[in-house]
Amino acid sequence: MKFADIFKLSLNSLTHRGLRSWLTILGIIIGVAAVIAMLSISAGMSQNMQAQFSSFGTDVLTVSAGRTRAFGPEGGFGDRFQPGSSQSGTSGQTSQTTTTPTLTDKDILAISTADGIETVTGVISGRSTVQYLAQTVTVTVEGVDPAAWNTMTTSQLALGRFLELGDGNSVLVGNSIANGMFNYNLTENTPIRIGSKTFIIVGILKQSGTGSFGGDDRTIFMTIPAARQIVTGLDTDQYSSIQIKITDTNAVDQITQNVDQVLYSSRQVTADTADFTVTSPTSMLETIQSTMATLTFFLTGIAAISLLVGAIGIANTMFMSVMERTRLIGILKSIGTRNSEIMKLFITESGIIGLMGGLLGIFLGFIVVGVISSVGINIMGMGRMGTGTNTSVAVVTPELILFALLFSTIIGIISGLIPARKAANLQIVEAMRSE
Amino acid sequence: MNNVVIELQNVKKIYKMDGVETHALRGVDLQIKKEEFVAIMGPSGSGKSTLLHMIGALDKPTSGKVILDGVDISTMRESDLARMRGKKIGIVFQFFNLHPTLTALENIELPMIVVEKDKKERQQKARELLKAVGLEHRAHHFPSQMSGGEEQRIAIARALANDPEIILADELTGNLDTKTKAEIMDFLLKLQKEKKMTVTVITHEPEIAQYAEKIVHIVDGRIKVGG
Repeated sequence: MKFADIFKLSLNSLTHRGLRSWLTILGIIIGVAAVIAMLSISAGMSQNMQAQFSSFGTDVLTVSAGRTRAFGPEGGFGDRFQPGSSQSGTSGQTSQTTTTPTLTDKDILAISTADGIETVTGVISGRSTVQYLAQTVTVTVEGVDPAAWNTMTTSQLALGRFLELGDGNSVLVGNSIANGMFNYNLTENTPIRIGSKTFIIVGILKQSGTGSFGGDDRTIFMTIPAARQIVTGLDTDQYSSIQIKITDTNAVDQITQNVDQVLYSSRQVTADTADFTVTSPTSMLETIQSTMATLTFFLTGIAAISLLVGAIGIANTMFMSVMERTRLIGILKSIGTRNSEIMKLFITESGIIGLMGGLLGIFLGFIVVGVISSVGINIMGMGRMGTGTNTSVAVVTPELILFALLFSTIIGIISGLIPARKAANLQIVEAMRSE
Repeated sequence: MNNVVIELQNVKKIYKMDGVETHALRGVDLQIKKEEFVAIMGPSGSGKSTLLHMIGALDKPTSGKVILDGVDISTMRESDLARMRGKKIGIVFQFFNLHPTLTALENIELPMIVVEKDKKERQQKARELLKAVGLEHRAHHFPSQMSGGEEQRIAIARALANDPEIILADELTGNLDTKTKAEIMDFLLKLQKEKKMTVTVITHEPEIAQYAEKIVHIVDGRIKVGG
């Protein structure tokens, strides 16, 4: 029998089973859609993070208090890797308790003695209310040393200027705060009230694209003395974190070790009892990438289970179909159809179920991905709305589509293999006897 | 000898079911000659259906030889045997002969699809056969939309599709009324004469056997001599 005829016959019996065929296909549709959605969301998130990380200087290390391996016990990722920005979340308020180790001028001094260090600066960060006209919002406030920070940041100015030494009442405002957070956009020379003090905006940063991590876009910068008046809970020699600009980006690991060593001796701790963490953007990126890989694997695994259930559905339908058509198989054989052709007939049928499921699953997957993208839900809870940046939440690649189609068809074929074998091996005489 | 189409030599067939052996055929010798109209008669359980399966190469004997057109079928591969069945033998069964989701015309076309005949050729042939069995008006009807007699006529048309040398019919009129039975048998007889085919029918009805030139009686798995 020619393959075109086998295909037509398979399609014929599928269409005549109507609802049952569709229900079987539905199992695959859901499985494929779930896998597509999971993979593309993961791909989108990865791409998002890569884009964000690539905007940071790779020559800046961050020292934070407390011992962490990946993510800090307090706050988000932001305070670990981002140069000159973002003690996001609650770290400013909760990390500086009596039990939490702190970073002080002594540490800065110690670090500055390590090899490979260009600049060291302490950063103060916390959350504070900001009032403009009649509106009040709460944002991250950061106290920085302008001389050091200006050399470390990768952020650029949209308006005005950076902070300067001695800017007691001046602030530099992140793009998302200036545009969109208040009913009226902020511009330079506008007075705003932060905490209980009035400041003048001297500059507004360009969109940095790091909004998802609470980066520069959502932070107000001021000098350290000014910040000490806003952020409470820190002594005059204490800092929320320390930023280090290194001399050689190729020696990040070595310099990180150097910093570790000087801090071990100055803080009188060992590697095991260390009460601080040094992180580099690259190490952070690696950590996040491996976390993403695990997450992708896990999510896709769950989606794959639904695909497996769909495959079992195909196998079940095909077994039923062989049983119901036992006599027909006998007839087909009696008129000269070979066993191999009977096998092809059933495999083609299950393959078509897989292919159809794949096609429609991709379509449904697109819809799911589209909905998730438009709603802007970020699975990891890092998506903060209203940054205005159009970072893609999900990415559907042509490879993914091709893979899904191929995979679902193969799943269909494999699911149909055993039932098809059963059909092919039926003895004509026995098949003819069945009612 | 060379006008023998089918020859059975000491054919035995034993079915094993749950360890119990059933001797369906206990050594059958039979020759069916070219253009012969043979009826195989016997009570139910006598082994006549098994005999038809042997003649039609639908099953292989436990022992003995089935020689079809000079070839011992036990030496043939499954795929070759299947093709030979498709080209040389046309079989009509008692019930459920047709592919339920194909139209009358498509059903007749099916054996020609199996042996990979050219599309134009097979469609033309299917229409001719449909005309020959007088069911042109049923071309696009499904089996469920036809009467029992019509279904059997389509089944006969399908059996003729590849111009087989032998037509085998297993109780083909078993579930039809007397008038339709006569019609079908007359049609078969006419066909046999016109196309010079070998026809073997299995039946337990004497009035059907009347149509045959030769009647073979089978009882308890053996040919009854002098029947």
